[in-house]
Amino acid sequence: MGVPSEILKETQPGISFYESKGRFHGLLGWIFTTDHKRIGLLYLLAILFFFLTGVSLGFLMRLELIAPGPTIMRPQTYNAIFTLHGVIMIFLFVIPGIPAIFGNFFMPIQIGARDVAFPKINLLSWWVYMIGALLAILSLFTGGGPIDTGWTFYVPYSLRTTVNVPLAVFAVFILGFSSILTGINFVTTIHGFRAPGMTWFRLPLFVWSIYATAWVQMLVTPVIGITLLLTLLERLVGVGVFDPAKGGDPILYQHLFWIYSHPAVYIMILPAMGVISEIIPVFARRTIFGYKAIAFSSLAIASVGSLVWGHHMFVSGQSDLASIIFSFLTFLVAVPSAIKVFNWVATLYKGSIEVEPPLLFGLTFIFLFSIGGLTGLFQGALATDVHLHDTYWVVGHFHYVIFGGTGFAIFGALHYWFPKMFGRMYQRKIPYLAWAFLFVGFNTLYFPMLILGWEGMPRRYYDYLAQFHTLQLISTIGSWILITGLILMFGNLFYSLFRGERAENNPWGGATLEWQITSPPPADNFKKIPVVDSGPYEFGKV
Amino acid sequence: MESERKSPVVKDRTYVLVWVGLVILTGITVSVAGMNLGRWSVSVVLIIAAIKSGLVLNYFMHLKYEKRIKLFKWMIPGILAVLILFLGLTFFDVAFR
Amino acid sequence: MEEYRDTTGSKIGMWLFLLSEILLFGGLFILYSVYRFKNPSAFHLGAEELNRPFGAINTLILITSSLTMALSISSVKRGDRKWSLIFLMATLCLGFVFLGNKYFEWAGKIHHEIYPNSPRLLERDKGEILFYGLYYSMTGLHGLHVLIGLVVLFIMGALILKGKVNEAHFIPLENSGLYWHLVDIIWIFLFPLFYLIT
Repeated sequence: MGVPSEILKETQPGISFYESKGRFHGLLGWIFTTDHKRIGLLYLLAILFFFLTGVSLGFLMRLELIAPGPTIMRPQTYNAIFTLHGVIMIFLFVIPGIPAIFGNFFMPIQIGARDVAFPKINLLSWWVYMIGALLAILSLFTGGGPIDTGWTFYVPYSLRTTVNVPLAVFAVFILGFSSILTGINFVTTIHGFRAPGMTWFRLPLFVWSIYATAWVQMLVTPVIGITLLLTLLERLVGVGVFDPAKGGDPILYQHLFWIYSHPAVYIMILPAMGVISEIIPVFARRTIFGYKAIAFSSLAIASVGSLVWGHHMFVSGQSDLASIIFSFLTFLVAVPSAIKVFNWVATLYKGSIEVEPPLLFGLTFIFLFSIGGLTGLFQGALATDVHLHDTYWVVGHFHYVIFGGTGFAIFGALHYWFPKMFGRMYQRKIPYLAWAFLFVGFNTLYFPMLILGWEGMPRRYYDYLAQFHTLQLISTIGSWILITGLILMFGNLFYSLFRGERAENNPWGGATLEWQITSPPPADNFKKIPVVDSGPYEFGKV
Repeated sequence: MESERKSPVVKDRTYVLVWVGLVILTGITVSVAGMNLGRWSVSVVLIIAAIKSGLVLNYFMHLKYEKRIKLFKWMIPGILAVLILFLGLTFFDVAFR
Repeated sequence: MEEYRDTTGSKIGMWLFLLSEILLFGGLFILYSVYRFKNPSAFHLGAEELNRPFGAINTLILITSSLTMALSISSVKRGDRKWSLIFLMATLCLGFVFLGNKYFEWAGKIHHEIYPNSPRLLERDKGEILFYGLYYSMTGLHGLHVLIGLVVLFIMGALILKGKVNEAHFIPLENSGLYWHLVDIIWIFLFPLFYLIT
């Protein structure tokens, strides 16, 4: 045979992190693991489950809205469902999303480390996430029943409604700890555990995005923590800080809530942008255009993006001066995002482009995210926001950026990193078919919302005027097409998990470190910690 | 662990001196509160609190001696900037309605 | 990068955790600032009702406990197990007394029917209701952190006794100290804001 035995060992299946080492075996070897790769997969399983739950809730909402008047549920049920759809999608899917799954799995490998700085805390993060998720589910069936406040829990309604606000709010409070611990872990890891030669400017841009995100996770999540705690205290003992009858100011609740929740959307989008920055160079076979600009723009988005929260409050009673300042800062933060879009497109220019599934989803990200970003500008401008606030325009906007953005980036990440994580390749034709359904379905579902919004239809409404019927109907049909696409896509990936062809170590020709090790990776990532002497997108060397 | 032993040694005497400083500052801040300084009372009291915190951070918490890792230098100024920005932007609302 | 691996990065992790704690209290300080700005005289009245000597003594107690904490750590670094335990016990006692004082203060106020949602409090000016709402929330959250700190320090004491924390491996005690000092710093700000404002 003549192949050196070390190489045989590297490529032989079975010598991977799936093989249980250490004290625990089987299921226990997973739920008590401290291996960042296993933890990433644990998150993948849970997060996918909650994504599908959120999708089902969305499906039910769209069914209700297919025609004016009651269709399949009562108004109270609808209020609970849109609240849950938001809470689950935001706190259990998109916020943990890419950092918890792909950040955990790939960031240590990409920096040339054997694991994160605090592997046991990493496991704790997952456990806390699961506990928070279970508490959230418990709140559906206990107390006064599922919450109906919207995922924003605005006072005074959240203080008065008799549904199980306390448990739901407490669940989100617990989930926050998971996010904070992960943030601390990632910052420490990236600062202190890079391989020799892995300077800051040789880091993959995915790592930069995870780094910027980790700071935001760590610093602003405590603010929603205290806000939710105070809401709980308010309900339990009546401290009065948000109650006008006691001198409290409900608008202060909104300030504290959005001080977290706006940066939270950057927690959602920055890692997604990081994924795109990985995918584009590999499938254009060109180094990224403007590496430093993209790296610094991640930091700029994280920092400036933490100062724009008042743009959710233009019509709340906030002062005009504050509104003007927040509007200005909001336009400012659009600049670094735009820089990324320009640099991705510039990377493609004169590249040797292969539209494999990861790139297809990456290009779709750029398209859908741009639409979402541009619609955001209309909301950032004060005068137009008065008209658009709390309408379907906003619903369309955030689904374009979060779903069209982060959602499609997650689909791209799955198709990009699937061979590395599972050691198998998926069937290569089905993703294109799935994509077609997803793309058509997505736009059919959400574009009408933009129109409905500027025509005046309010969001979170159970019923609507007859004039909005046609677009609502189209939107619901879009949801069916979209769901078909999801079934095709996930079905293919799930099937390929068991029946896919064995994947090579580097099916895409990537230059970052994860592609230089086996698919799936060994338990301690590297036989020997590499000494890095080139950048992450130098394809000449691959 | 080697470098644990190498970490800078602060003499016990320094700690006690810092403690004396903190006690004195506490005394000052209580007496200042008794005086009528009008608009300046809050600022003076907060400045003294900041000085006390600075002593705890730099000496008890060793921040002054953590020279090797650059991150430490920026943590406190950074967090102060964040808090000031959050507070300031909120005040642009509250103070101008 | 070597420095991180030697201290296992855990000191950095602890500092980052402290930053997140600062933001946790930060939210409350923002609320305090806004409501004080809007209700200056009510907050002044509220402050006058609080027991200034009590607050000052508690401040001195925590400051001293920070000293004993630092001395405990330097004792461990010197290999002096006996004194590290003595200083740690002192820290624990002082912390316990702090909590005891807090309990008496709260009990006193509650006995006078001043607590969130009490009819007596609700009769008063809105600014005063807010003052006490913030007083209970902030000193309560702080007290919870003191309690957690005492539990951690107790565990550290056990580890020192068992010899698991010693002059070769003292990072857990140092990190616990960092946490304890932060709790002290937060009180350094709470004290003037609630007891001393004029």
